[in-house]
Amino acid sequence: MRAVRRFMANRGALVGAALVLLLVVLSVLPHGDPLAPHIDRGLSAMGAPLPPSGDAFLGTDHLGRDVWARICAGATTSLELATLSTLLALALGLSVGLTAGYAGGWVDSALMRLVDLVLAFPFLLLAILLAALLREADLAGGSAPVVLTIGICGWTSMARVIRGKSLSLARSEHVLAARALGASPLRIVVRHVLPNIAGIVIVVTALGFAQNLLAESVLSYLGLGPPPPAPTWGRMLYEGRAYYRTAPWLSIAPGVAVLTAVVAFNLLGDALRDLLDPKGPRR
Amino acid sequence: MKWLLVLLVACNVDRGPHWRPRDASTLRFSTHQQVSTLDPTIAYDEVSVWIAHSLYDTLVDYAPGSTELVPRLAERWEISPDGRRYHFWLRPGIAYADGRPIVAADFETSFQRTLARPDSPFQQYLAGVDHVAIVGDRELEITLKHPDATFLYVLGMPFTTPLRADHAGDLRRDPLASGPYMLDSWDEGQRVVLRKNPHYFDPSRTRVERLEMLENVPRDTQFLMFEKGELDAAENLAAADYLWVIEQPAWQPYVHSAPQMNAFGIRMNVREKPFDDRRVRQALNYALDKQHTVKLLNGAAVASHGVLPPGMFGRDDTLKPYPHDPAKARALLAEAGYPHGFEIDYVTISDEEGETTAASIQADLAEVGVRVHITPMSLSAYVSAVSRPDGPAFSIASWVADYPDPSNFLDPRFHSRAIGSTNDSYYANPELDAVLDAAHAEADPARRAAMYHRAERILYDDAPWVWNYHREMTEVDQPYVRGYVPHPVWGRDYTSTWLEAPR
Repeated sequence: MRAVRRFMANRGALVGAALVLLLVVLSVLPHGDPLAPHIDRGLSAMGAPLPPSGDAFLGTDHLGRDVWARICAGATTSLELATLSTLLALALGLSVGLTAGYAGGWVDSALMRLVDLVLAFPFLLLAILLAALLREADLAGGSAPVVLTIGICGWTSMARVIRGKSLSLARSEHVLAARALGASPLRIVVRHVLPNIAGIVIVVTALGFAQNLLAESVLSYLGLGPPPPAPTWGRMLYEGRAYYRTAPWLSIAPGVAVLTAVVAFNLLGDALRDLLDPKGPRR
Repeated sequence: MKWLLVLLVACNVDRGPHWRPRDASTLRFSTHQQVSTLDPTIAYDEVSVWIAHSLYDTLVDYAPGSTELVPRLAERWEISPDGRRYHFWLRPGIAYADGRPIVAADFETSFQRTLARPDSPFQQYLAGVDHVAIVGDRELEITLKHPDATFLYVLGMPFTTPLRADHAGDLRRDPLASGPYMLDSWDEGQRVVLRKNPHYFDPSRTRVERLEMLENVPRDTQFLMFEKGELDAAENLAAADYLWVIEQPAWQPYVHSAPQMNAFGIRMNVREKPFDDRRVRQALNYALDKQHTVKLLNGAAVASHGVLPPGMFGRDDTLKPYPHDPAKARALLAEAGYPHGFEIDYVTISDEEGETTAASIQADLAEVGVRVHITPMSLSAYVSAVSRPDGPAFSIASWVADYPDPSNFLDPRFHSRAIGSTNDSYYANPELDAVLDAAHAEADPARRAAMYHRAERILYDDAPWVWNYHREMTEVDQPYVRGYVPHPVWGRDYTSTWLEAPR
């Protein structure tokens, strides 16, 4: 109950949580078909996108599709892809981080050099390379290449944080005690290390989630996201950019959506860090 | 907040028309493609042919803004009653850019060069020529093996330009100009500059001293440069730019769209399932909403019922495009054994038009249960994929004619003789072949037109393509570009243009 009260007292946490809730509601709420062109009313007589009106409250795009429906459907895509890629990154980051932290020694050095190697690559270059390779390999299924790309690029920072934390835990007294009692390394990691780093894992995950959401938009903008006509915010931004003078809503709507989502998860992540950090100030 | 507003306003400065030419002697424009060669025997892509047409004159040519043939290097001609002998009298005083006269034998030289060059795409056009007789310096007679109603059009193509046998340079870079312009400089992939040919017989066709064509300029860049006044004309505008410029009162008088000799649609490999069934092909024709496509192209297109564009001789104007009728399409699909539709890959070209039309095709066909996966490809990848017999069975198709005659649309695309080259639908119909062959030799225009009506009808019913639209060229000029008339065959035609600030 105290945690809830502290959470409610944190304004950033509240705003973040509210925005996240809003996104989730948007993505599950029934909305128009994001693919259906409004054949009769989606475009002006000249074939121009229609401005926001009662009919389509965020206007229509260059193919006459309802921008609001696409924003909502884009929320589904974004949340889905960000969740999947974060889970992948988490799985990789946890296993590498825990192994390196607990084992220490040369295993630690080897794994951390691997992390350095991946981190040394600029994210975009690596992502473009991976996305292109995965697409070429025809791992198709639409969004699989995106999830893999982001997951593979995003696990390193998690691995680092988790490794640091578990390194110190591995030398703590209760772990020493468990080892003295004959517990297997797996049991120690799962029962004695993991619960103690759960807080930091949650925080890193929430922050990573925001980053992955942004990464998904970037890849879609570059044309490396789920193939069209899948509605994604990044692709909407890309398609709308040419119309910045005649139909600015095509850029503004997805831009605001990306901004909101990233801010929401960042706020939530920050708030969780404040809450879960035992050394942090108690308000 | 205030600085944000200032920023927004600053980004939105209204760049209106430029009223005064920077340099009245040079007309500057651009292309998103690149010139591959200046050799008239070889040049076949759109921009290379355009440059070739400015550099090289031919016996006959088209009148400004029309498809009517007029004498050019020839002064007049006579065709024998049996339609096999063409006798030309050359215009007096015609000369190459180096000042040496053009003589009748130079035309034969160019024919021989075409036939001797295996890399020339034009040999097929000379297949009907039996022999060429030279009568002195100013007369020549071309004898055909069979009468051919389209032969004069062939003589309007730049590859038939006179070429001197003793020209030492490489024509690819060192052209022997006989046309209104000659080469000034060519920085390959960057820009081609043409300047007035001082020995040209008709100075009224070169009112602008120099033409400067920038190569490899993407469409949106082209428009930005045009707005900044760095280009005098911009064509084939991106949809967003076209919509912008057409809505601006200051620009409106200088925006035009002009019909071109082209056809766009979806080609189907009629040898492959499910397109081997005519009902499937018809169903897709009913499923596609062509009026919506036209709207997507900002009205700069006409819905089509076949490949012959409006105004083309032999076009059957009583045929109307397949109506948008999803119910009928579903019924036909069910009849053909696809009650639940099917899945199919659609290969398109990854430019704005190719992707926009693909999205609308995908949405329209989804309505009748056909699930389309879009594969965008670069133009070169597309061309090599589609030319393989095992290549994609369902893809965007377009055809731009070399000369304004129905035979140049129907024969290359649908005659069984062209299977393996330009007939990539693998469509073979002996009845259509017979009609096309007969029409090719027919001299009487009325009877010829009736034959092409028949051919159009056959293709309409058999539907080897999903007929979609004929594209118009959109264009905007600075106000000081005067006297410009777009040409249905050549597109840009600056032979009557001059640059002068409007009063």
